[in-house]
Amino acid sequence: MSTNNTTDTVRNWWHEQREQRTRQDWIIDLGPFVMLFGLMTLFSILSQNFLTYGNLINNVAVNSALLLLVALAGTFPILQQSIDLSVAALVNLSGVLTVILVAQFGFLAIPMVLLAGMLAGFANGYVFAKLKVPSFLVTLGTMSVMTGVALIITGGSSINFRNDAIRGIATGEYLPGIPNLVFWSVLIYLGTVFLALRTKFGRYCYALGENERVVELSGAKVDRYKIYPFVLSGLLCAIGGFLLAARLSSASPDAGTDLLLPSIAAIVMGGTALTGGVGGPHRTILGVLVIAVLQNGMNLTAVDPFVQEIILGVVVVVAVALSIDRRKIDVVK
Amino acid sequence: MVEHSMDIEQPTAADVGPPSTGEASLRVENISKSFRHVDALVDVSIELEPGEVVGLVGENGAGKSTLLSILTGVLDPDNGQLYRDNQPVEFAGPQEAASYGVSLVHQEQDVITHFRGYENLFLGRERESMGLLKMDEMSTDAQSFVDDLGIDIDVDKFVKDYSFNERQMLEIAKAFHVSSKSDNPVILLDEPTAGLEEDGRELLFDLIDDLRDEATFVFVSHELDEVLEITDRIYVLKDGELVDEYETDEATQDALQQSMVGRETSAEYYCVPDQRRESNLGDPVFEVNDIQHEDEIGPVSFSVRRGEVFGVVGVEGSGKERLGRILAGDTPATDGSLSVLGEEVQPESPVDMVDAGVGYIPKDRKSEGLLLYQSVLKNTSLAMVRDMYGRLPFLDTNAESSITEETIEDLNIKTPSANSLVHGLSGGNQQKVVIARWLAHETPVLVMDNVSRGIDVGAKEEVYRLCRELTAEGISIVLIGDELPEVIGLSNRIAVMQDGSFADEPIDASPDAKPTEEELIQLMV
Repeated sequence: MSTNNTTDTVRNWWHEQREQRTRQDWIIDLGPFVMLFGLMTLFSILSQNFLTYGNLINNVAVNSALLLLVALAGTFPILQQSIDLSVAALVNLSGVLTVILVAQFGFLAIPMVLLAGMLAGFANGYVFAKLKVPSFLVTLGTMSVMTGVALIITGGSSINFRNDAIRGIATGEYLPGIPNLVFWSVLIYLGTVFLALRTKFGRYCYALGENERVVELSGAKVDRYKIYPFVLSGLLCAIGGFLLAARLSSASPDAGTDLLLPSIAAIVMGGTALTGGVGGPHRTILGVLVIAVLQNGMNLTAVDPFVQEIILGVVVVVAVALSIDRRKIDVVK
Repeated sequence: MVEHSMDIEQPTAADVGPPSTGEASLRVENISKSFRHVDALVDVSIELEPGEVVGLVGENGAGKSTLLSILTGVLDPDNGQLYRDNQPVEFAGPQEAASYGVSLVHQEQDVITHFRGYENLFLGRERESMGLLKMDEMSTDAQSFVDDLGIDIDVDKFVKDYSFNERQMLEIAKAFHVSSKSDNPVILLDEPTAGLEEDGRELLFDLIDDLRDEATFVFVSHELDEVLEITDRIYVLKDGELVDEYETDEATQDALQQSMVGRETSAEYYCVPDQRRESNLGDPVFEVNDIQHEDEIGPVSFSVRRGEVFGVVGVEGSGKERLGRILAGDTPATDGSLSVLGEEVQPESPVDMVDAGVGYIPKDRKSEGLLLYQSVLKNTSLAMVRDMYGRLPFLDTNAESSITEETIEDLNIKTPSANSLVHGLSGGNQQKVVIARWLAHETPVLVMDNVSRGIDVGAKEEVYRLCRELTAEGISIVLIGDELPEVIGLSNRIAVMQDGSFADEPIDASPDAKPTEEELIQLMV
C-alpha cells in the first residue's frame, strides 16, 4: 500500500515536471552538471595528473576561488534583472587599497577595504535605483572611475607590501590540506546561498527579477532592495581584492581585469538568466567550476594559450546561448 | 454503392460542417483550443462568405481573441481545420495567413509613428533595388493604392502627424495591402471603433460598406449597436463555444446580450443571500477623506464598514481605476487622507497602504499581480514576508510554508503542489493566489479592480463566493468593476464615478434593493 502511494507520488511528481518544464528547463538545470562531468571525464582520460587531490585543490580550487567570489558578487544584481559590470574594476581597486592601507594601518586595513567596497556598491545601487539609470550604464561608468582611481594611486604599476600575517590570511591553511583561499571562498559561498534562499533579501531579489511591479504593489520597499545587491556585490569584490593582494603581497591596477567576462559567463552557465528571477548563487558555483576545469585541463594537456582563449570564448557563448531563458527573450537586449 | 461508401470514408469539404449557401471564402471547422486547464475554444465552426460583414460578439474571455489568433496563424488549433476557398490550409504565422489574404487590424494601433505612411504600408515588404529602397516608387504606389480603396490619407506624411482616425484608415489599408495578392481578402477587425470619435466611426463604416464587394470582413466589437448597424450576420461566442448565430436583420441588442451571458443574472450566482445586511455590518474601518490626485481625481470621500462591499463603477476614463491606485498608494494622493482602523495615512507608496492594512488586487494579474514563473508558495507569501523575521536574518520558512499551505487549502486553490509555478494554473486559480497573498498577510481591507477579469464562469462563481466568505470574516472590500452585474450583485453600496469624482451619493444595493444596470448606466453617462 505504502509503496503504491510512493510510486503514485513519484509518478505525480514526474508527470507534473513533464507538464511544466520545457526541454530548455532541463538543459538549464542539468546542463552544467553534464558539462562538468563530461569535462572531468575527458581530462581524466587525457591527463593522468588531472584527477589528483593536489591538482584539484591547489590548481582548480585555488585558481577559481577569486572567480567564484566575483561571480557570486555579480549573481545578485543579475538575479534582480540588473547587472554589475564594475566587479573586476572594484577587485583591482580594493587590491590597491589593501596594499596602501596595510602599510599604514595593518589589520585595520581589512574593515576599511571592505567598507570602501560596500560604499562603492552603494553608490552603484543608489544611482541605479533612485536616479533610475540603467545599471549596466551606471556600473560601466563606475568601472571607469574605479580603474582611474587605481591607476592614480599606483601610478600605473604594481605596488607591494610586506606583512606576513596578512599574507597568511590568503596563503595559509587554517584547516590542514585546505588552502585558505579555498576555505574563504567556500565559506562565503555558503553565506551567499543562505542569503539567497533563506532571507527576505534573497526572496525579494528573485521577485524583483521576475516582476518589479508585483513586488512594489505587495508593499515592499523596492528601492532599498534594489540597492542591497550592489552593496553585497561591492563587499564581495572588496573581499576578493583583499585576498588577491594578500596572496601576492602586491597589487596592480589590472590584476583582476580578466575576471569580468568569465564571471558573467559562469553566472549564466550556472543557470541565473540575464533576465533575472531564476537561478542563484548556489548554481553559480557550477559555472565557475566548468570554467576552472576547462582552463586547468587545457593547461595540463598543453593546449596553446592563445588557442585556449578561443576555446574558452566559444564555450562561453554556446553555453550562454543554451541557457538563456527564452520565455523572457523579449527582454534580452 | 461503392462510390457512396467512398464518400463516407473521405468526406469532401462540402459534406461536413454547416450547410453552405455558396463558396465560403474562409471556413473554420470544429476548431478547439485549450490552454492548460482552460478550454478557450470548443468545437467552433464558422463560415465567411465573400462580400459579407460578419460580427463576432461575446463577453471577455468568450474566445474571440483566440479565434482571431487562430485565423491569423498566431495560434495553432488543437483540433479542427481551416479552409480557404474550400482548400484546407494551415497558417504557420500571420505572414503566411496574409499570403492567403487573411489579415488582422489590431485593436491597438500597430503603426510606427516615426515612419511615413507609405513606409508603414510597405513595412517588412519593402521594395528595393540593389539594397537601396525604392522610395519614390513605393510612395507613388502606396498613394494610388489608398486612393483606389477610397481612403483619404497622404502617405508621404509621418504617421505621428496623422489623426487617430487616419491611423485607423492606414491600418485598414495595410491589411488590404498585405493581402493584395488575394482577390477576395478576409479582413479581421478587432475592436476597430475603440477610441474613434463619432465621425471617425461613420467614416469607418462607410469605408467598410464601400469595400464590401472586394473583401470579407469580420467585425469584433463590444458595442452591440455597432455590430447591429454594420454586419450582415452575427456569431455569438460564450465560454469558448459558438452558442448562437443571427441574421442581423432578425437580431436585437437584448437577444444578443441574452446569448452572450447565457443565463439570467441570478442572485444565486452572486451569493446575494449571503450578503451582510446593513444592520449586520461593523464599524467603519476604511475612511476616505477628500482624497485627490492633482486636478484629475477627486476630491472623493466615502467610508467602508467592516464586512461591507463598496462597489465603484464608471465608464472607461471616469477615473475609477486611478481611484483604486490611489487607495493602493500606487498613485500618490496630492491632497486628502485615508484612515484605516482609525489610523490616518497619507499614502505615498504602496508601502504605506500595506502597512496600514490595505491590499490591492490589480486588474491585470499577469503584469501586476503575479510572479508567473515562481511558485504558488512564493507568490502567496510575498506580502507576508515583508513583516516576517524568524531567527534573524533568516526567514522563518516553516511558518511561511505552513501559513501558505493553510491559505491554499482555505481558498481551495487547485495546484499540484505549493511549489508548482503559478504560470501553470488556470486563470481562476491564479486570481485566487493574488487574493491569498493578502489573506496570508491578514489584511483587513482589499481594493479589487475587476476581480473576475478573464476567468471562466465557474471560476468567477468561486471568486464571488470567496468574496462573501471574506466579508463574513470581517474583511472589507472596495470593488471596482467594469462588469455591472458583478458589482451590483456583490456590493452593499455602489458609487458611480464620473470625471474623476462621485456623481452622487453612493446607491444602496442591499439584497432586496439592488439597482438595475439601467439605473447605473444613467448615472454613469
